[in-house]
Amino acid sequence: MSLTLFNFVDAKDKFTASARHALVGKTSKPLVNVFNQFPGNEAEKKTTLDQALRGVLGDQIVEKKVNCDEYLSLIYLSIDAVTEGICSATTPFLLLGDVLDCLPLDQCDKIFSFVEENVSTWKSSSFYTAGKNYLLRMCNDLLRRLSKSQNTVFCGRIQLFLARLFPLSEKSGLNLQSQFNLENVTVFNKNEQESTFGQKHTEEKEDGMEVEEGEMGEEEAPAPCSIPIDYNLYRKFWTLQDYFRNPVQCYDKFSWMTFLKFSDETLAVFKSYKLDDMQASKRKLEELRASGGEHVYFAKFLTSEKLMDLQLSDSNFRRHILLQYLILFQYLKGQVKFKSSSCVLNDDQTTWIEETTKLVFQLLKEIPPDGDKFATMVEHILNTEENWNGWKNEGCSSFVKERTVDEKPKRPTRKRQAPEDFLGKGPDSKIFMGNDELTRLWNLNHDNMEACKSDSREFMPSLDEFFAEAIEQADPTNMVEEEYKAVRNPNYGWRALRLLSRRSPHFFQPTNQKFKSLADYLDSMVSKLAKELPKDIPSEEIKTGEEDDDDNGDNLLKDSNDSPSIQSKMVSNQQMDDIAAKLGAQWKTLAPHLEMKAAELREIETDSEDVDMQAKLLLVAWQDREGTQATVESLVAALNTAGFAQFADVLSEA
Amino acid sequence: MGPVELLHMSVFSQSFSPCGRFLAAGNNYGEIAVFSLSAALSPDATAQSQKPVLTFSAHEGPVFSLLSNDCHLLSAGSGEVSCWSWAELIKKNTKPLWTKRPNYKSSLEIPEINSMTFNSRDNSLVLAGGDNNVHILDLERGLFKSVLQGHSDYVHCVSVRGREGEILSGGEDGAVRMWDSRTGQCVHCIEVHKYESCARPQFGKWISCVTTDSDWMLCGGGPSLSLWHLRSLSPTSIFPLIGCQRQTSFYQDMILAVGDGPAVSHCLLGGEVKAQIPCSPQSLNTLQLNTNSTDYRVLTVGGSSDHIDVFTNLSYRTFSFSF
Repeated sequence: MSLTLFNFVDAKDKFTASARHALVGKTSKPLVNVFNQFPGNEAEKKTTLDQALRGVLGDQIVEKKVNCDEYLSLIYLSIDAVTEGICSATTPFLLLGDVLDCLPLDQCDKIFSFVEENVSTWKSSSFYTAGKNYLLRMCNDLLRRLSKSQNTVFCGRIQLFLARLFPLSEKSGLNLQSQFNLENVTVFNKNEQESTFGQKHTEEKEDGMEVEEGEMGEEEAPAPCSIPIDYNLYRKFWTLQDYFRNPVQCYDKFSWMTFLKFSDETLAVFKSYKLDDMQASKRKLEELRASGGEHVYFAKFLTSEKLMDLQLSDSNFRRHILLQYLILFQYLKGQVKFKSSSCVLNDDQTTWIEETTKLVFQLLKEIPPDGDKFATMVEHILNTEENWNGWKNEGCSSFVKERTVDEKPKRPTRKRQAPEDFLGKGPDSKIFMGNDELTRLWNLNHDNMEACKSDSREFMPSLDEFFAEAIEQADPTNMVEEEYKAVRNPNYGWRALRLLSRRSPHFFQPTNQKFKSLADYLDSMVSKLAKELPKDIPSEEIKTGEEDDDDNGDNLLKDSNDSPSIQSKMVSNQQMDDIAAKLGAQWKTLAPHLEMKAAELREIETDSEDVDMQAKLLLVAWQDREGTQATVESLVAALNTAGFAQFADVLSEA
Repeated sequence: MGPVELLHMSVFSQSFSPCGRFLAAGNNYGEIAVFSLSAALSPDATAQSQKPVLTFSAHEGPVFSLLSNDCHLLSAGSGEVSCWSWAELIKKNTKPLWTKRPNYKSSLEIPEINSMTFNSRDNSLVLAGGDNNVHILDLERGLFKSVLQGHSDYVHCVSVRGREGEILSGGEDGAVRMWDSRTGQCVHCIEVHKYESCARPQFGKWISCVTTDSDWMLCGGGPSLSLWHLRSLSPTSIFPLIGCQRQTSFYQDMILAVGDGPAVSHCLLGGEVKAQIPCSPQSLNTLQLNTNSTDYRVLTVGGSSDHIDVFTNLSYRTFSFSF
């Protein structure tokens, strides 16, 4: 296909004619046909069509159509064109913008209804990304044109439309940097001369001592006032509004001091002047109900001096002021990302803010009617504000929880155990009790009866274990005195009886002997048992070590004849004497190898002057400590490591 | 006046000038201070305007009572009454017009004059004396007309029922006596402490304030502050105020009372206490409303301090004058 130059003008004319034709016929088919038939690049054709449509709209506007429907039908056409794909997606929005810019407000109303009705279209994927900025700009332009107090409903509709169009986390509607409306200045009579209030004779002397009659009759003075005015409070009170307008100045030390002083005075007045006139407020409530509950709306405070008294006695006014305080405090204390780093409160300021917050809440609770409810509501709202503030600081994260894409294809793994598993029937047959400890305990043995029968639960001792002590004591060679025998212990005796009843047949043999006491009975039992039980019972366990050693030693000798092994005998006294004599003063060198502590060494030194004796003492102490381990072998080893190998040889010979 | 004297100062009496622009206050040192209300309430008031424009020594002892009529200021202290001209005072001329003393029986003691009031029917001045008597001074001729005897202890306060021309006096002996001014006889005697609803034995039986509205009377002191109906001579409302009230006044449909405690009490005629507005002196002796001028219609209270609190709006203290 040969490249032909795209004839823009020609295309535009054709499209314009076709568009008008389509409008008349109320269908977009002719336009689509013309578009498809016309030769050229898609993109070029699209932009040409955009221009054409805008041109058509322009002509319509110039003709000053009374009825908006014609504009609307053109816009419908353009929407269809986008759906057909012959027109770029921004065109409908451009057309809307053009139309709204050129029409007076009453007609804009109708156009805007159209916009509202088609919210779903705007939100659909093909239009949304292209058009949202245009729509936003269009709405903002409209809002700027409208007056908030006169076209309140229209403004509201635009805001609502924006709220429906954009997702909840859209930043364009936010006061992201927490900026303040610095232009909201409250004007009041700061200067005394400007006071319109009762112009007084200026010829009065400074100390005002002249008695003047007829002082009210001046021509220039307005109607004479009849109440005394507290100028001091008036000025301080309205100066506070400046701090509420621009809270950042609170961080400046000098302004803060002024704010503090004025606030304290004002709050003291509120505290002293309690609103408890229930009669007045009841009347007001009835009036409100009668008038259909119309809301009180005012844009700015009225700051005439004469109104001060009335304002102080009005509960709504007080609520306004106290609420302003709370909002200010929240801002000062809060973390806002866009505050400069110099905006930090010091400790005194923080303390004052906390005290005053308490006072303000208390005052709020005291204001009739329904002070308590109002105060709790305010607290709740301020808490919610904290959340919003935090959300803004984090950069307005979206509220929509996105599904992570990769989870979908996998089969979801079981997060919770299959019922069979935790009921103990599954493959693991491990029962989960919900708590680790309980699970462990339960799974020791899942059958209680079996668990009770297990060997580890056998707590009853055997006869020989239990009576070993008693048997030994009964042995006359041990010479244990009567009163120290275990059988005299009533606790022991009771347990002995129980054990005998379970294990010993002697318990059930009838006997003619008459026993005077349990102890005597047990004595006889013990003697019977002693006869029965085998000889090598653990009562001789103390001597086990040596016997075993002897046995081992014999075995060793039998097994290995050729090893000149040093016998693992206990070191005898004679041997110790010999070594000591040989060691003499060198016993200290041996000491660390025998693992003697320094304290013990000192003790040995103090015990005796004679070095031989000391050496002997060392060896004795070593033997005491080691007990059964004080063998010749270990002594030889120690001697060898200490460097006294020749003595070791002596030992081995002995 | 050094700081120690200021610390121990008590204000016992106040009176507004006939034009309503000045306030005279008497203290326990025998001084009278004149303050300018117009300067203090003007838009360009300074701290200096809360100081007196004139201070002078009026009596030897404390100035217990001050009273103003069309052009004169009358002050009473220990045993004597002095009269001053407001016009002269405003010009800072402190020479009294006259000074008189009632005839006291004994010349050893000099009994004080606790309270004064005008009896406009026969242009006389009624004095409550410390010698248990009420003295009446004829202002036209300047002579003491009569002495009303009957109280057994010193008389605290006097008040006049304008329509009937009766004088009411309350005394330390706990009796409120009503006298006929022409005959000088005691018509009624109410012993307030004998009525159980009012009596407060822990405080005593003395009556320190009596004020009347022709049909109604307020009296209080040792017994609770109570509102009496004078025709039936019975108490109708008792006010549950803690402490002894030293001065009370009717104001529109409310009753204002000051006494022990650093607050002005607003009470309703029914007997309930509507509000208690805090003020700077720890206890209050005197309460005055400026009815002479609408521009400067303020309430001022003074007591055991050198400050006199001024209220433009009855519900909070606006500022204070100080001696």
